[in-house]
Amino acid sequence: MTDAATLESFRLADSFLPVGTYTVSYGLEQFIQDDRVEDPADLEALLSTYLRQQVGPAELVALRAAHAAAIDGDFDAICRADRRLSAVTLAAEFRESAQQSGDRLLSLQTELRDEALLDRYAERVDANDAPGNYAVVLGVATGLADVPVREACLLCCHGFVTGLLGAAQRLLSLGHTDAQRILADLRPVMTTAVEESADRELDEMTPFAPLVDVLAAEHERAERRLFAS
Amino acid sequence: MAADAPHPAFEGYATEAVPQAAVGSPGKDGVLELTFERTAEGTTLVHDYATVPFHISGTLGHDPHPDADTVFIQSPTGGVAQGDRHDVAITVGDEAIAHVSTQSSTKVQSMTCNYAAANTTLSVGAGGHLDYVPEPTILHADSRYLQELTVDLAPGATAVVSDVVVPGRLARGERFEFERYLSRVRGTGPDGLLFEDATHLTPEDGDPTAPGVLGEFTVYGTAFVLAPDCDETELSDALHEVVTDGEARAGATALPNGAGVAVRALGDRAETVQATLHAAWDHSRQELLDVPAPSGRKY
Repeated sequence: MTDAATLESFRLADSFLPVGTYTVSYGLEQFIQDDRVEDPADLEALLSTYLRQQVGPAELVALRAAHAAAIDGDFDAICRADRRLSAVTLAAEFRESAQQSGDRLLSLQTELRDEALLDRYAERVDANDAPGNYAVVLGVATGLADVPVREACLLCCHGFVTGLLGAAQRLLSLGHTDAQRILADLRPVMTTAVEESADRELDEMTPFAPLVDVLAAEHERAERRLFAS
Repeated sequence: MAADAPHPAFEGYATEAVPQAAVGSPGKDGVLELTFERTAEGTTLVHDYATVPFHISGTLGHDPHPDADTVFIQSPTGGVAQGDRHDVAITVGDEAIAHVSTQSSTKVQSMTCNYAAANTTLSVGAGGHLDYVPEPTILHADSRYLQELTVDLAPGATAVVSDVVVPGRLARGERFEFERYLSRVRGTGPDGLLFEDATHLTPEDGDPTAPGVLGEFTVYGTAFVLAPDCDETELSDALHEVVTDGEARAGATALPNGAGVAVRALGDRAETVQATLHAAWDHSRQELLDVPAPSGRKY
C-alpha cells in the first residue's frame, strides 16, 4: 500500500469521518431496550452475530463487487451490487441507515476527489436509480484510492463495530476499556467474515439474522428512541 | 433370523440391502404443475399435472372469496428423501384468485448421502392473487435440503407466500440436528428483482441459537405479503400491530423496492408461529381482497 492509500484508509476508518455513524444502531438500541444486551459479553456476542450473519455474507460481498467494478471502471457493475444489497436487506430501517450514511460518504468523496466515476454514481443515486448503500460507496471509494480489497473489507468491519460500540456507550454503561477490549476480541471474527465473503458471487448474498429483523421491526415503532435504526 | 424373513430359507436374502432409486428415477423427480385461469364461473384450475410424490384430488370450494379456487397438494410418501428433486410450477392467470397449500408438513427425512431439493416457481398474472401457504417443513436429523422459491408478479398482481421451518422432530427432543438447510425466496416484478431472502443454516458450523439469529426460539417463519401497488409503510405498520398480539415473537417490515411487507415470526412451536403468520395473512387478505383468509384447517 502506498502512504496515500494507507492514509486514505485511516481517514475512511476513523469515527471522525462525517457520515452520521452516531445516528445508527442497527437494532442494538432495541436489544438493549429488551434487556437482551446488558453487559459487555452480551454486546460482544451480538456484534459477532452481526459480523458473521449480516456484514460478512451481505455488505462485504457487495463491497468486493463495487471495489472490483471501480478498478475496472465498470459503472453498471457498481449499480448491480448496490441494488442487490438493497434487495437482500429486508429490515427497512437498515436499508434507510445504509443509504443515509452511503449518501453522506458519496457526497464527501465527490467533493474530495476528482473522479468521473464518483460523479456519475452520485448522479445515479440522486436520480433514485441506485440506492447508494454505504458498503457499496465504501467499495468504490477504496477501490479508487488503491486500498486493497482485503483491507477495504477489514475497514468496513472495523467501522461497523466501532459505530455500534459508540452507540453502546451511550445506551449502556459501557466503559472505554471494555469497548476497546471488545474491538480487539472481535478481530478473529472480522477476519473470518472477510475470508468467507471472498468466494461469494453477488447472487450468493445470504444475510440471516431473523431475531435482529424482528427487533429492528419493533424499533421502527418504538416510541422513544435515540437512534434512527 | 432377520426380522422380516418369511421363512428360514429367505433369511440370507432378507439381510441384503435394496439399493435406493437413483436421482432422477421415477418417484424421485416429482413434478407438479397447476394453472389457474379466470373464467365466467370465477377461478378454474385449467391445467394440472402431478407425478409422485405429488398428488392432487381436484379443487376445494371453501374459500371465503366467491371467485377463488383452492388446491391442497397431497403426498402419498412419508416425506422428502435423499436424492429427491422436486419441481413445482404454479401459474395464476390475469384476475384469477388461487390458494395453494399442502395437506400436512413436509418431512425431510434423515440422509446418509446426496441431498434433496425443491424448486418452486410461482407466477401471478395482472390483477391476480395467489396465496401459497404450505404447512411447515420439518428437518429431520442429518438431512440436507435446498429449497428455491421464486414468485413473479405481473402489474397489479398480489400474493401471500409463507414459509415455516421446524428444525427437527421437536416432540422427541430432536432440534438442529440436520446437516444443512438452504432456502431462498425471491420476488420479481416487471422491472426484475424486488427482494431476496435466504435462510442458510448449518448447525454444526454456526450456532443457530446465537443472539440475534434465533436466540431462545426454535421455529422460524416468514410471510411475504407482496403488493407492489399498496402503500407498504401503512401495510407494514398495520401488520406489525396484528402480529405483535400473538404468542410468537414477530415483527413486520417494508420490503425493498416497494414489493410489500415481510412478517417474521419466531416461536417454540410450529403452531404459535403459524398462528401469527395466519393472523398476518388474514389481515392482508382483508386489505387486498376484502375477505378473510381460509381457516387453514386441513381435516
